[in-house]
Amino acid sequence: MIREAEAKEYAKDLEVLLAETDEILANTEQNLVLLEKAPSDSALLQELFRAMHTLKGGAATLGLEEAVSVCHGMETVLDEVRTGQRSVTSEMMNGLFKVLDWLKDWRNAIGEGAEGPPASGILPVVEALQICPSPSEGPQSNVPLKWPETCEKLPAKGAAGALTASLEALVSQGNPVYVLTVRFRTDAPLLSVRCFQVLTLVEEVAEVAGSSPSLEDIENDKASDALTLYVVGEKESEQAQRIAATVQDVVEVSVRRYTVNTTIAGASSPDKKPEIRVEKTALGKTVRVDVALLDSLMNMVGELVIDRTRLSQIAARLMSNSETAAVGSEISSLASHLQRTSSELQDGLMRARLLPLKSIVGKFPRMVRDLSRRCGKETVFSMTGESTEMDRTVLEAIDDPLIHLLRNAVDHGIEMPDERERLGKPKAGNIRLSAWYEDNQILVRVEDDGAGMDPERIRRTAVKKGLITEEASRKLSEQEICELVFLPGLSTASETTEVSGRGVGMDVARQNLERVNGRIELWTRPGEGTQVTLRLPLTLSIMRALLVKCADEVYAIPTSSVEEIFSLKDQSIGSVRGKQAMKVRDRIVPLVSLKGVLSDSPWQRDGSRYALLTRTQAQPVALGVEELLGEEEIVVKELRGLLSRVRGVAGATILAEGDPAVILDINRIL
Amino acid sequence: MATQLSGPPVQISAERQIVAFSLGSELYGVDISKVREIIPSQKIVRVPRAPEFVEGIINLRGRVIPVLDLRKHFGLPRSQSAEDQRIILVEDEYDSIGVVVDAVSSVMQIPVDSIEPPAQVIVGPDVEYIEGIAKVDDDLIVLVDLTKIISDAEKRTLKEAKNP
Repeated sequence: MIREAEAKEYAKDLEVLLAETDEILANTEQNLVLLEKAPSDSALLQELFRAMHTLKGGAATLGLEEAVSVCHGMETVLDEVRTGQRSVTSEMMNGLFKVLDWLKDWRNAIGEGAEGPPASGILPVVEALQICPSPSEGPQSNVPLKWPETCEKLPAKGAAGALTASLEALVSQGNPVYVLTVRFRTDAPLLSVRCFQVLTLVEEVAEVAGSSPSLEDIENDKASDALTLYVVGEKESEQAQRIAATVQDVVEVSVRRYTVNTTIAGASSPDKKPEIRVEKTALGKTVRVDVALLDSLMNMVGELVIDRTRLSQIAARLMSNSETAAVGSEISSLASHLQRTSSELQDGLMRARLLPLKSIVGKFPRMVRDLSRRCGKETVFSMTGESTEMDRTVLEAIDDPLIHLLRNAVDHGIEMPDERERLGKPKAGNIRLSAWYEDNQILVRVEDDGAGMDPERIRRTAVKKGLITEEASRKLSEQEICELVFLPGLSTASETTEVSGRGVGMDVARQNLERVNGRIELWTRPGEGTQVTLRLPLTLSIMRALLVKCADEVYAIPTSSVEEIFSLKDQSIGSVRGKQAMKVRDRIVPLVSLKGVLSDSPWQRDGSRYALLTRTQAQPVALGVEELLGEEEIVVKELRGLLSRVRGVAGATILAEGDPAVILDINRIL
Repeated sequence: MATQLSGPPVQISAERQIVAFSLGSELYGVDISKVREIIPSQKIVRVPRAPEFVEGIINLRGRVIPVLDLRKHFGLPRSQSAEDQRIILVEDEYDSIGVVVDAVSSVMQIPVDSIEPPAQVIVGPDVEYIEGIAKVDDDLIVLVDLTKIISDAEKRTLKEAKNP
């Protein structure tokens, strides 16, 4: 039985391990994809090796033996590749990817508190990797660099006596030995993993003659917040000092010369060489902040903005009276100062919520590679603008659509290699993901040079599925026909392979985009390829909105979804087959009242005095409202939980008077 | 409360602190640990097309918080007077949720042995949120788990969202 405290400790360690594992696996995946293209890149191999080594260490401290053995196998293979004993073959790449997938499954299982999958399922693959053929022409041009001696090969460091002896021997042979003392944050979780990392990193730049606690102790989780390493060579020890300082949770690294009468592990001794201390004051320039904290700060700024609006209103009232005009203008200038400050604050906070596109696209190269293989296609996938930053909510919203678009590109876009050759195209299809800023918007585009879409096929499918009549479909332009793929129900998912069959359809992709005020645009030409562009707002949390009154409640309607506003009495309201309509220039537009829409009887006649011509992707609609209160900048508050899925409700805001108001999503409410 | 805290652990386990409130003529109680705050009734803005048992949203110091109507949830008739109405704020996993009640009568200590498990006959088999029924003087107080009610409600909206 594990005692409660231990269980808690374990849970905490596990959490840290999981976070680290995620990072390692994501990096490893990217590196493997790169490795496939550059099989002899020694830096890459070294990084892969180190990743497996760290993972192994982490798993070992928590006693997760299955993963330890798998990582160990990977390590061995990578080591052999690195030293030129083996070369990277496509067979080996497949094996490495399989092992990676096992590690991912394992991570997910332990993350859910389950037993990891048995290693027996994957060890045969690992073993097969180890008997992959050796390169026929021996090691390639890359000189086998000094590969870090795996820790196991270090002299036994268990007994302090033996260590002293071996150090003394080194010194007497004229080798300068330095003592590297690494201190960790005392409350750092997973200390043994950190020790392990320091040890591994230092071994890459210097010969480590021993350590305290010993490697064995570290592996048995007997690490403390201090680690002493005995390093050979002055230059190397300095390098070691720098590299050790890069490890997480390290607070201080000091170096001093080892002399024969120095006692092992710590006791300070007078030394000719002054102790160099590297205080880790520069803890990096970034900090991790809980999103909840950012949200609550944003809420507070939101309140400031409301107060400012309120203040302006009061100022206006005071200024309209000659007796109080002076005070009013003073308050007014105060309010405008407050406006500047709060909007800068707002800007800053919004920037703090931004994340680079990089954080979600890391998995794509692998995905495209795997898909291409499965479909028997050849593809070259490239990405540009990964550092384009956007709000995290936007990132979340585009993740699935991007996956879907890339799948489509591989599965439907790119032709089979021989077909491409016949068409005079390069055998491998190009798929590109790019992102950039344009006019206060972020654009993310997925394009391919494949077959493009066949408008005629789409038209027929749409007619067959009853989404549009034959007659109406004939009137659409090719572009408009292609845009039918965004209609729910047209998704070709059912007729496609398992590749595109999963995930979201184009209609869901569009919906996802609309939720974050984004749009999706499609360009395609048969034989030339397809281009899908996502237009995204730079930031989300502030929008301009029209405030309207309807049945005594105030609603906010995003200005971006309103094309024009009409005063209703000036317009000729007519009716078409019993339904209200109005004439806007040369077009007849259906007229519904907001009140009616909200009570589910949109055609009811009421005292609407204004009509908002909506800007929807489909047909424009005139929306009648009783009263217009004006246009304002509002802070969007997300509605969570119970209210997160209400159709047509995009969120809420707080009005200057302090009352909440619902923000309507016009495209979805009609 | 102070005496409670300094008292021996045996006593603490033998009593439960609850916030008692009324809905119409019925008395209910929630465990005080689940209650974050009790605020006077304020303007509740209706959310169009929201689930029926959601009364609307309120502004709580800059946060927009959904408010549930327990009467609808319990199938009780609508209340007439809004005079004594209070909103009990319950902390959910992600956010706070308000619950409108007719009046909050008091915080009381109820001896654990006066609480009886809910009889299935009375409350029905699916009503997980009733923890028990306490007898205090001549009154019966139905102890409810508000967080369960909320998660219950969320499940219901999910279901509705799936089959509209």
